[in-house]
Amino acid sequence: MKADKDKCIACKRCFPYCPMGRIQTFQRHDKIPGRVYIEIDQDQCTDCGMCVRANICPVNALYQEVADWPREIRGILSNPLIEFKGSQVPGRGTEEMKTNDVKGSFLPGEVGVGVELGRPGLGAYFRDVEVVAMALMEAGIGYKLADENPVTHFMSDKSTGKLRDDVLGEKATSAIIEGKCKLEKLPEALKALQGAAEKVDTVFTVEVITKVTPAGDVPIKSVLEEAGFWYSINSKNNLGLGLPAFDFYGKGGAA
Amino acid sequence: MTHSLHRRGDYESLKEDFVVLGCPATGVNKAGSAPKTQNFLSICYKHGPVNLGDMKTGNIYNTTMDDILASVTDGTIVQCTFDNRDKIVALITELKERRPGISVVISGVTDVVQQCMHEAGLGSIHSLEYSLGTWGKTERLPGYAVLKLLTMCGHAMIACDLVGKMVRDVKRGRRTIRSCVVELAQCCTCGNFNLTRAEKIFREVLSTYMVNSLY
Repeated sequence: MKADKDKCIACKRCFPYCPMGRIQTFQRHDKIPGRVYIEIDQDQCTDCGMCVRANICPVNALYQEVADWPREIRGILSNPLIEFKGSQVPGRGTEEMKTNDVKGSFLPGEVGVGVELGRPGLGAYFRDVEVVAMALMEAGIGYKLADENPVTHFMSDKSTGKLRDDVLGEKATSAIIEGKCKLEKLPEALKALQGAAEKVDTVFTVEVITKVTPAGDVPIKSVLEEAGFWYSINSKNNLGLGLPAFDFYGKGGAA
Repeated sequence: MTHSLHRRGDYESLKEDFVVLGCPATGVNKAGSAPKTQNFLSICYKHGPVNLGDMKTGNIYNTTMDDILASVTDGTIVQCTFDNRDKIVALITELKERRPGISVVISGVTDVVQQCMHEAGLGSIHSLEYSLGTWGKTERLPGYAVLKLLTMCGHAMIACDLVGKMVRDVKRGRRTIRSCVVELAQCCTCGNFNLTRAEKIFREVLSTYMVNSLY
């Protein structure tokens, strides 16, 4: 995002709307005597568009330039109004467990492991995203990346989690690494993430996905408890109402 | 990814907080899903959500229900937020009977969602996603009470400084808590923001949050 220096009156009304915090500085206009305008730190700004959508600028000075590669990925991952064409899903990730009832993306014995870096309020540089992705791939747990996820598309080597060098300096409001591995490998995946947590200069949330058994058992629960990992009381729950139902157990019906 | 599973708060704060998503599946039932999604939205609307929308069009605090319904296309993911457990039971009961055909996901306290499903006669949760919390440089995050507000936005669009400014405005008598939470809901375009819960949290924040920013 940018502020047009010929329009901006440095009223500061846009400051509190920036999810990245105070990333603006005051500058003196070189041609209009006495005029002060704000400049948005282009390295810190994630092009999320919140300041423009807030419609708070009294002189319409805020605007978003059409960005070229690699800067364009900031808007793709940060602005919720932009859809990443690779995933065909609005938002930053994939359908993940939301459509597991009809797609069978996570089968019994598999566990989805997702990591979202940068939220809330910090943002994430892709150099940190790479640290986490490489930690998961180096753990040797057979972590299979979700092909349609935007971050996967930005990788130069999907077998190691290495991202393209030209995106490493870019920043997003948040970026998600999504994939899955075998249930028994979950503790190793989480230990790899613990190691990565010490190396990154941001925060990340960790989420794990499982198919619940027809009897109502949650297979990852005991694995998490035995390995000593905390999990929240709240969760995302697929009700299994989608049609046609995926046949998980080869019985010709949903369960 | 709505991030709704990462909402901060204890059981008391989260037990009446539900985000319901309707999601068509790419490659399975996405083609021709628009009428099913509209049907799903209409059913949800009937049960009195506190917020509703889709991230591209906006929510009912940015635009109108008619606009949201008219903007639904094949593949649109819609979200409705409820602040009442009884409404969720009634909603699940109707969704089970009328079965719109797209996948339905409810974020909330796992045990409460499971209980609601049983009461609606739906059986066990199909698939589940747990939050294992926030890792890394957590010392850089704002305070817990503010985080409870920020994490209600599906895409981290609510700024910490905005909450601070609103607290200052309310403390100075410039605006009401209700107008603040409505504006916070407008920032979160997808409709995940629970205004009822936000008002309660805002009252907590008011008494504890010091504002020392100059802007």
